[in-house]
This record gives sequence, C-alpha cells and structure tokens, in this order.
Amino acid sequence: MKDILWWCAARGVEWTWTWQAYPGVWLFVAALVFAFFRLERRTVDEAPPEASSSTWRRTAFLVGAGALWLILDWPIGAIGAGYLASVHMVQFLVLTLIAPPLLLLSIREADYHALARRLPERPFRSVTHPLVTLATFTIVLAATHWPPVVDTLMPNQAGNMLLDLLWLATGLLFWWPIVAPVPIRRGWAHPTKMVYLIAATLVNTGTFAYLTFTALPLYATYELAPPFPGLSTRDDQTLAGLLMKIGGAAILWTAITILFARWYMESERGERTPA
Amino acid sequence: MRESIGPTIRLFGRRSRALSATLTVLAGVACVGGSDSAELHDATGWYGSVLEHPVPKVDFTLSDTEGRPFHFASETEGYLALLFFGYTNCPDICPIHLASIAAVRRDLPHELRSRIKVVFVSTDPERDTPERLRAWLDGFDKSFVGLLGSVEQVNDIERSFGLAPSYVDPAQNTESYMVGHAAQVLAFTTDNLAHIAYPFGTRQTDWSKDLPRLVRDGFGPREDR
Repeated sequence: MKDILWWCAARGVEWTWTWQAYPGVWLFVAALVFAFFRLERRTVDEAPPEASSSTWRRTAFLVGAGALWLILDWPIGAIGAGYLASVHMVQFLVLTLIAPPLLLLSIREADYHALARRLPERPFRSVTHPLVTLATFTIVLAATHWPPVVDTLMPNQAGNMLLDLLWLATGLLFWWPIVAPVPIRRGWAHPTKMVYLIAATLVNTGTFAYLTFTALPLYATYELAPPFPGLSTRDDQTLAGLLMKIGGAAILWTAITILFARWYMESERGERTPA
Repeated sequence: MRESIGPTIRLFGRRSRALSATLTVLAGVACVGGSDSAELHDATGWYGSVLEHPVPKVDFTLSDTEGRPFHFASETEGYLALLFFGYTNCPDICPIHLASIAAVRRDLPHELRSRIKVVFVSTDPERDTPERLRAWLDGFDKSFVGLLGSVEQVNDIERSFGLAPSYVDPAQNTESYMVGHAAQVLAFTTDNLAHIAYPFGTRQTDWSKDLPRLVRDGFGPREDR
C-alpha cells in the first residue's frame, strides 16, 4: 500500500509512457458520479420531474466529470504535476473554468432550492456574493501560482491533491453566481453577469505577465525536472502564461456570448408577449 | 557556507529524486528539486557552494568530438572553465545542468559569453561515440566542448579533481544502464583554481548571478561588501 501512487505528484524521475495507476483519482471521480446519481434519484421523489432537461444535465455532468478524470489521471495529471508547467496550466483551466460550470449546470433547480433551504441564509448569501467569489478566485489564482507555494505542494501527492481540489472548489464558487439560481439577488441579471465575467478576464493579467515575461524559470519543480522532449523550461513557462491568458479568455468569452444570446432571446420573447 | 568537494555521486538504478536528494545532502553539498535558490545563497555572496579547499586545474588531455587532442589546462587558460562529468544517456542531472548553463550563457553579452568555456567529459565511453556526444551537446550549445577517453583515464581525472570516479553497477545488465557520476560542475576561474562547485539543484537564477561575476572579477571579493 505504501508504494501505491494515489495522486499525481512531481517525482523527479525520467518520464516514460508506461501507464501508471492513480487510484485516488479514480476514487474521487467515482465519488462524484455516485453523488450525482444519488442526488438524481432522490429528487425524482421530492421534486417534479424535469424530463426535458435531464439529458442535457446528465451530458453536462458526464462531460464535466470526464474532463476532470482526463486531466487528473495519467498521463496529463502526471505530466502537469512534474514535467510541464503548460500542462499544469491546462489542468488549472479545466479545474477552475471548464468542469465547475458543467457540474453546476448538471444540478436540478429543485436541488439548488433544497440546498438553500438547508443552509443558513446570511453566510450562504455572503459566501456566494459575486464580489466575494471574484475576489476569492483572484486571490487563489495568484497565490497558487506563487513559486514557493507551487514548489512546496507539487512534489508530494497530498499537496498536489490539495491544490487540485482547491482549484475545483474555487471554480465552483466562482461560477456559482452565474449558474446557480440561488440565492436570488436583486439586479443580478444577464448584463451584470456579463460584467462579472469580463472582470474575471482581467484578474489573471498580473499572473499571466509574471509567467510570460519573466526571463528565468520561476518553478524549481519544472526547471529541475527530468527534461520532457520538445519543450525547454523557459518556452514551457511562456506557453503556460499564454494559455492562462488566451485559454482563460476564450472560455470566459464563450460564456459571455452564451449569456448575451440568452439575454437577447429573452428580451425578444418579452417584446412579443402581448400585454 | 564553505564546502569540501566530497564525493557527490548520482546513484543509478533507483532513479528517485528523493534518493538523489538524500545522497546529495549526505554528501553535504546541495539540495535538489523544490529547492529555493535562496538556500544556495550564503554569506560569501555566491550562489554555488564555495569550496573549503580550492581545486587546482589539472592538466589532462583527452580527445574532443572531432578526434583532436584537447589540453584542458592550456585550452581553458584565461577563460572561466566550467567542467562537468556525465553521459549522454543521463536522464536528469546532465541535461538539466547543461540546459541551465546554456540558457544563461545565451543571455549574457557577447564579451562575457566568449570568455566562458564549458567542458563536458563523458563517463560512458561505451555508448558515447564522438558523433553522439557532439549531436547531444549541440542540442544545448554548439560551443560546448565534449571530451572522450577510456573509463580508466576519465576516472583518474575525476580523482585528480577530488571527485568520486564514475561507476556502473554490474547488476545492471540491460543496455539502458545508468552511470553513477559526480553531480557538480566545477568552475575554474582565471587563477586556474575552482573555488566554487555547482551541485545539482543549481537554478538558472543562480547561474545568472554567479556567471557574469565569475567572468568579470574571478573569485574576488564582492565590491559592495
């Protein structure tokens, strides 16, 4: 049991394409799938069925959970943990910007309301306040790309798992005000949601510039890792910075476009409805 | 922090960084992955490990990758000479060291860059043919000098510098065997002494601070101290 690798970490060994098992990742994904289907079954009894949207929700869940599995397991998880900062950035984007909205979209509205009823209203409203979620996202993004933090967490499995789960939790929190229907906030409509996401495209600018324009490698984890064919440490770091900025912007602008389209369609519908 | 040179040797067979780190720390020289460059910085103001007893330049002769004799002492006279023993199949220490030196050297202005000679001595003459060694070094920097000799010759040279000789575990009976070798780069200044060794774990930020200073001032005291 001692020799089992549960979660990816920087191991400092030469990279090989020999498959490696990471049971911790499988358990995590299995727990996620179990929780989803358990919740699904329960709400059938408690809430009116939403049959028309169930396929869409299940698809969103499977794509979200599948993306998590893909980037946490071998080989992407292992390469990102110990060889290439650019691959680690891809993991960051999936954990914070791609999987969380899909997972949140997979939850029924009735479940959101049931959750809101169970939670104390004030703390719930505070924690999910857009200013709080955006600030949390900004702080976590900056702190978890700070070299001493990365170089401390990456070489051990628990540290790397903590980082992955922190990013996922931060992503869920960040997307909550966009996707979740609760708590209801006055004035929080499509245009303000778009402003929120536009602001999010800007908050990574400092970290992006730090990664992209620093001449020397920032992370010992990647600089002193056995070389990964095809990419120098410096090019890898620059690529990581560009991925953060361009990849992050592409995801956020896709969401902004979807919000705009929905806003437009709802406005159109409203105008056509007879008084 | 002054260091005696000690036999810092890369263990083969078990490729774990943790083990390498343990060995290296035991040898009292360096720290490995995850190290903060500040850990290497000491009261002397150098980012490498200052040697308690400077190592004199030994006048050895080996063949370069073109088959010509290379007289180490005379051909590096007046240069900052970085001497390193390793092999082209090395999975980590050798390519990381050479990539770091090459990247930092590339950033230096020409007048400094041209006063540095990097000399790499193969500890694996069985597999490192002149062509293979040349192609491998060219992947880092075409100016790097590659030297070849017999195992006995190279081991004698390593001993003369106070380094542990390279070693192949006879239990490794595969073609992809690993070679244990000294993990530090010796930096010979123009006084023909190596005052500083750079262990595995030396980062580009460390090299970028020490190399220009070594070229300009040798192992002189820092002006601002």
